[in-house]
Amino acid sequence: MTQETKHMNLWHQAARSTAIVGAVFVGIFTILLIANLIGSAVLGPSREKKLDSLKLQVQKDPTNETLVSEIRQLDLRIRRDRIWRLDFAHRTAHALLGSVLVLLIAGKIAYELGKEPPRPQHGTERGQMQVEEAKQARWAVAGGLAVLAIGMTLLGMTGWVRFAQAQDTGPAFASMQDKQMQWHRFRGPGGSGVSAYTNIPASWNGKTGEGILWKSPVPMPGRNSPVVWKDRVFLTGADPNVRQVYCFDANSGRLLWTGDVPTVPVEEKLELMEDTGYAACTAATDGRRIYAIFPTGDVAAFDFNGRRLWHKNLGVPDSAYGYAASLETYEKLVLIQYDQSDGTDGKSKMIALDGTNGQVVWEARRDLPNSWSSPIVVDVAGKPQLIAIADPNIVAYDPAKGTEIWRAECLGGDIAPSPIYAGGLVLAIEPYAQVVAVKPTGQGNVTKTHVAWKMEEGGPDICSPVSDGTYVYLLESADLLICCKLETGEKLYEQKIKSDFRASPSLVGDKLYILDMKGAMHIGQTGPEYKELGKCELGEECYASPAFADGRIYIRGVENLYCIGQAP
Amino acid sequence: MAFLMILLIPCVGVQGEIRFPPPEFESGYQLPSTTTPAAQPVWREYVDMAVLVASLLLASYLIHTRRSRRAIFILMIAALIYFGFVRDGCICSIGAIQNVTLTLFDSGYAIPIAASLFFVVPLVFTLFCGRVFCGAVCPLGAIQDAVLIHPVAVPRWLESGLRLLAYAYLGAGVLFAATGSAFLICRYDPFVGFFRLGTNWNILVVGVCLLLIGLFVGRPYCRFLCPYGVILRNLSRLAKRRVTITPTECIQCRLCENACPFGAIREPTGDWPEGEYRIAKRRLALFLVLFPILVAAGVWGGYSLKGQLARMHPRVRTAERVYLEETGQVEGTTDVSNAFRATGQTTDTLYADATQIRNRFAIGGALLGGFIGLVAGGKLIVLSVRRRRTEYEADPASCFACGRCYKACPKEHERLAKGAKAEARRA
Repeated sequence: MTQETKHMNLWHQAARSTAIVGAVFVGIFTILLIANLIGSAVLGPSREKKLDSLKLQVQKDPTNETLVSEIRQLDLRIRRDRIWRLDFAHRTAHALLGSVLVLLIAGKIAYELGKEPPRPQHGTERGQMQVEEAKQARWAVAGGLAVLAIGMTLLGMTGWVRFAQAQDTGPAFASMQDKQMQWHRFRGPGGSGVSAYTNIPASWNGKTGEGILWKSPVPMPGRNSPVVWKDRVFLTGADPNVRQVYCFDANSGRLLWTGDVPTVPVEEKLELMEDTGYAACTAATDGRRIYAIFPTGDVAAFDFNGRRLWHKNLGVPDSAYGYAASLETYEKLVLIQYDQSDGTDGKSKMIALDGTNGQVVWEARRDLPNSWSSPIVVDVAGKPQLIAIADPNIVAYDPAKGTEIWRAECLGGDIAPSPIYAGGLVLAIEPYAQVVAVKPTGQGNVTKTHVAWKMEEGGPDICSPVSDGTYVYLLESADLLICCKLETGEKLYEQKIKSDFRASPSLVGDKLYILDMKGAMHIGQTGPEYKELGKCELGEECYASPAFADGRIYIRGVENLYCIGQAP
Repeated sequence: MAFLMILLIPCVGVQGEIRFPPPEFESGYQLPSTTTPAAQPVWREYVDMAVLVASLLLASYLIHTRRSRRAIFILMIAALIYFGFVRDGCICSIGAIQNVTLTLFDSGYAIPIAASLFFVVPLVFTLFCGRVFCGAVCPLGAIQDAVLIHPVAVPRWLESGLRLLAYAYLGAGVLFAATGSAFLICRYDPFVGFFRLGTNWNILVVGVCLLLIGLFVGRPYCRFLCPYGVILRNLSRLAKRRVTITPTECIQCRLCENACPFGAIREPTGDWPEGEYRIAKRRLALFLVLFPILVAAGVWGGYSLKGQLARMHPRVRTAERVYLEETGQVEGTTDVSNAFRATGQTTDTLYADATQIRNRFAIGGALLGGFIGLVAGGKLIVLSVRRRRTEYEADPASCFACGRCYKACPKEHERLAKGAKAEARRA
């Protein structure tokens, strides 16, 4: 062995030994990193799960300081652990890379020094070999092409979404004609409380189950009324922490889906009157989407499959008894009467949101104080008008643009009953004081020119009126039903019905349906004299107005939703 | 060593997990507003460009004049450190293909001067000096070259087949950049995770696998995937000055035969076997007939995939998701569909945009398919044409100009010895 060879062997051994040392360090650092990763993967999620569960607990019991303190400590521990692990991983990763570098360099040197020198063989039949090589290469290209072709075929098999059908699904909202046949908002089309169907049951008993098609529990409380669109019934429910929209199958009563409506954190906790509750506003649908609003100012839209399409917080309304105005829809707009505070700070407004995305389409400032009545969209001589009432005005807007058409200054007090449009007159109620009828054909301030009549012998405090086009029926929450002539406002009778009422009266053909708080439906004859035709007990307290569909009534009790009628 | 590379995964993976939600303060503490990193100063771009040009000039000198593998290796490592670890693998000439493409197809996109120069300058150097960029300047090539320890020869036929992938990748990268869908080449850069010590797991796994393969197969990404390599490869055929194994004349000693780990050394051609000429003529005629058929098939295949390819575009993906939600074919919403609805745009607009993009993909897909057919057909024709070589030489297309083969040539040793003697005499 020459001196040079010995020298090379020494270098080779040194490089190999360095590579081995590098490999050992690589192994150690890798084990440390893997242990760190496993530690993060195992400990992290379990602690976070515990933190989430503690957060849920504290939502239910916000005053529990021990729980709050435990959450803070756990949160701190999780953060410290994460930061420590990241720091550790960072340092170890650098050490590992350094070790890898040593290993690579030493390994490369060891390989180069230990490499055998080239020993070329005798020449072969190059010509034949090169022909063979070219042949194999052609096959390889063909194979590569085949692989690409297979890849393209597999990709082609995945299919793709064609939008043609989507564009054929029709307009983004149901037509007015469709709406007339549904109960798409509070008190049905135009908020009139008039059923489009006359085949409505007149006899049932909630206790025995007679005439009850189904009864389903409603998960969360709420005083809003059912909204019905074909085979779906919608309700909302809420408590101080949770807001939900429910969709029931109209034929079976099965709860199809529950949609959660988020909110935004506020400084002061919202506390509302028990009588109003956290879900007083009735939802509304345009036949494509269901919209809901809550006293927290949260508005949300869901499609009929329960997907939340958008959510918007309008700010918590400053409402003395809690916000309670229900929604109305016009084409694809969601119309919100957002009356609040004393009307001097510019906070009250009428808002129109695009139902497809929640964007504000228009806003109309209303210098009016908080009110609890719901707006209505009615057809006046072929043109739509959005009518909203609050102290002291009845105001009509163009629902598409939000421009004011007319206003009449004739009301006062805390306005809760909603207006109706019947026999060419808009009827509005000032609680305990008067009923006012206005002809909606004017422009500008019509106080002196278009007020048709005033009936100043009191007016219902909560319940909205109903009219058959000849008479108007007014229901006071205590025990009094009043009937007036629609044309003149002349009072025809006052009928005592021994009960308390929160639900507004409804009209089915020539019958009045009056639901009391105990859940008894009083069915009376319309006309200049009252005649009770029947009384059907539900056996559960009721605050919401009933909804009417083809051959059915939907009534919300304090705990259950009832469907009265026949199976399809 | 393979095990070693696998163990690199956690080292990179942990760096990705650096974000977690801020604490839920209730003490009036104001969270600092989110800031975005400031744009990099312009001088940095000029430094990058200067380093690139200087590196290429130096690489050309080292490869063609100095003929020193050691010096080339040192330059390569320096480039790896600067363009890779210091500059985080960005900007790079490979990704610049997309910037150039986008600027050609989107009038609203202004290409940074650095991106355009990073694309053009290596091409110019390739035209004059061969693939000096690949050999000594590209950080992606350098990281693979650095880990190559025990090279194994890849059969030439396999290399021919696998190289098709690079063409397809180049075509796809150009298509998606031209349609504004994605910078595919950057998104799936397998080594950027190593440069930045952080990336997503899928890319990391691809990168680690390539480095594992790279321990035994020289520069697998450069040879079988690199889209920029495809352009350089074809330009280097026209290079004015090419890498030569021997500094003088070839003595047919065959010592260099296995010196190239990238299979770029071509041996002299032998005589044709008897009867092969006639068969070769018929074969060539067949492939010439097949050529337009392959191109047409590619055009049709690419066109048929317009819907699937268009899914790479975020607008199309959003449209498909929103459509599926609107028609009740999927449950729930996603952040993307919620974000779309929050914009206030109508679904009709979204669907119309998506349809328009798909139409662009119909043309682009057809061109991509046609390009793949063209390349495959062209390769079949080229592989059917007989070439003549009288000595061992570096294939200008495949040669990465790494300088490994120099020392395998006894003539090179002779040159070096003469040089040393001359130096000694001068001293």
